[in-house]
Amino acid sequence: MTALLELRDVTVEKDGKVLLEAVSLEVEQGTLHVLAGPNGAGKSTLISTILGRTDFTGSIRFHFRGSGRIGYEPQRFVVDRTLPLTVAEFLALSRRRRPVCLGIGKSARQDAEALLGRVSLPGFGPRALNALSGGELQRVLLANALDPLPELLLLDEPASGLDETAAQSFENILVGLRRATTVLMVSHDPLQARRIADRITLLDRTVRSSSAPEAAP
Amino acid sequence: MIDFYAWLAGLAARGAIPQVFQYAFFVRGLLSVLLLAPLLGGLSHLVVARRLAFFSSALGQAALTGLTIGIVLGEPINSAYVGIFSFCFISALAMVWVKRRASLPSDTLVGVFLSLTLGLGICLLVAVTKRFNIHQVEAVMFGSLLTVTDLDLMVLLVAGVAVGLVLAFRYNALLLDSLDPALAGVSGVRTAFIEYLFVVLLTAAIVVSLKIIGAFLVEAMVVVPAAAARNLARGTRSYLLWSVLTAFIAGVAGLFISSRFLVPTGGAVVLALSLLFFVTLAFGGLRKRFA
Repeated sequence: MTALLELRDVTVEKDGKVLLEAVSLEVEQGTLHVLAGPNGAGKSTLISTILGRTDFTGSIRFHFRGSGRIGYEPQRFVVDRTLPLTVAEFLALSRRRRPVCLGIGKSARQDAEALLGRVSLPGFGPRALNALSGGELQRVLLANALDPLPELLLLDEPASGLDETAAQSFENILVGLRRATTVLMVSHDPLQARRIADRITLLDRTVRSSSAPEAAP
Repeated sequence: MIDFYAWLAGLAARGAIPQVFQYAFFVRGLLSVLLLAPLLGGLSHLVVARRLAFFSSALGQAALTGLTIGIVLGEPINSAYVGIFSFCFISALAMVWVKRRASLPSDTLVGVFLSLTLGLGICLLVAVTKRFNIHQVEAVMFGSLLTVTDLDLMVLLVAGVAVGLVLAFRYNALLLDSLDPALAGVSGVRTAFIEYLFVVLLTAAIVVSLKIIGAFLVEAMVVVPAAAARNLARGTRSYLLWSVLTAFIAGVAGLFISSRFLVPTGGAVVLALSLLFFVTLAFGGLRKRFA
C-alpha cells in the first residue's frame, strides 16, 4: 500500500507552547486510520494543521491520485440558535452557485435529500439546522463531508455525543466507506477504534505508537 | 433629475400625492431610502451572521475621523468622500489584518481600533472647527436629508449595484465561512480573501449611507434589520426579505418623522427600526407560544 498522507517532523508551537513535536505519520490509501490520545494531546491541532489552518514546521505531503478533495467534519460546530438556515440550504452552500438566500431549487432539494438518506436522515431537508440534536447535526456534517466523495476524509471526534444507536449507524457508514476513500479520524473511544480501524496512532504531542488495532496498547 | 422633481412637485401641488413631495430634498431622501434598504438590509443579515455588529460601529466612528481628515486636506465639507473612503478602508483592512494575526478576542481588538480612530477624530475635529462651524459636521454624525445631493444618490446607486453583484456571486461562500471557516476552506473557499472582501463591501455600504443615517447611527441600520428578521424568518430567503423590508419600512417611516418633526433623519430611522424590532420580537414570541 502507498501513503496518501505523509507527515514528517511536524511541529506546532503557539505562544511559546509546543502543541505538537516532531510528529511523523503515514496514512495509507484506502484505510481507516484512527488518531487516539488523551485530552490536550494535540489531535485536533494535527487535523487543523493538515487542513492548512495552523502554522507548522516540518512537511506534510498529500499523494492524491484522483480529485484531491478533502472532506472534513469538525469536532465542534456551533450553530447560532437564531440563524434561520435549513438543513437543505446548509448542504447547498458548498454545492450550489445560486445564493441560497434566493431560495434553493428542486434539484438542490433532491440532492440534499439523497445525501441525507445516506446518513439515515431522510426528510430532514426542510428542518432548521439549529433545531437538530447533536447526533443529527453530526450526521448532517458527515453527509456534507461525503459529497462529492473525498480522497481524504478528516473526522474530528465525529461520534462524540452520539447515543448508542446513532454511534452504531455512524460506524456502519464509516465501515461502508472502507477502501472507497481514506479516513483519518480522531476518536476518544478505544473500543470503537479497535472495531473499525485499520491502524491506530496514539498521539500525546508526539507519536507514542502506531500499529494495527490488535497490537495497539 | 430637476424635471423629475418638478413633475412630483406639480403632482403634490394638485393634491395627487402628499404635499411633502413638493420638496426636492424629501424626494432625494425617499430615493436614498429605496436604495439603502436593499443595500444595508441585505448586508445586515450577513453582518449579524459574521458577528460584525461592533465592527460596523467602529467603522461609523472611523468615518467621522475620515471626514475631518478630508476637510483638513481641503475637501468640501459636504462631500469629503476621499477622506472618508480612504480612512474607513484603511481602518477596516487594518482591523481584519490585526485580527487574523493576534490571539486577542476580535471585539477587544475592534475596541482598540475604535478608541484610536475616535481619539484621532476628536483631536482633528478641534482643529477643523477652527475653520468650520461644528454644526456643519452634524450631518455626517447624525444624518441629514438636507445635505443629500444627486451626486450622493448616484454614488449610492453605483455602490448598491456593485455590492449586490459581488454578494450574489459570493453569498454562499460568505455564509459558509461565517458558520465554520475550516469547513469553508475544505469546500474551496479562500477564507482570508472572503473575510477581506466582506469588510470592503461593508465599508463601502456604510460610507455611502453616512449622509442619510449618520456615523453614530449607521451600526443600527446594519444590525437591527437582521435582528428583527430573525424574529420572523424560517429560512434564508425569508431572512433576507424580512431584513430588507424592515430596513425599507424603517427608512420611509424615519423619513416622514424627520420631515414632520424636524429631527435628524438617522435618529428617526433608528427609532423606527427599534420599534419594528420590538414588534417582531413580540410577534415571534406569540407565534412560538401558539405554534
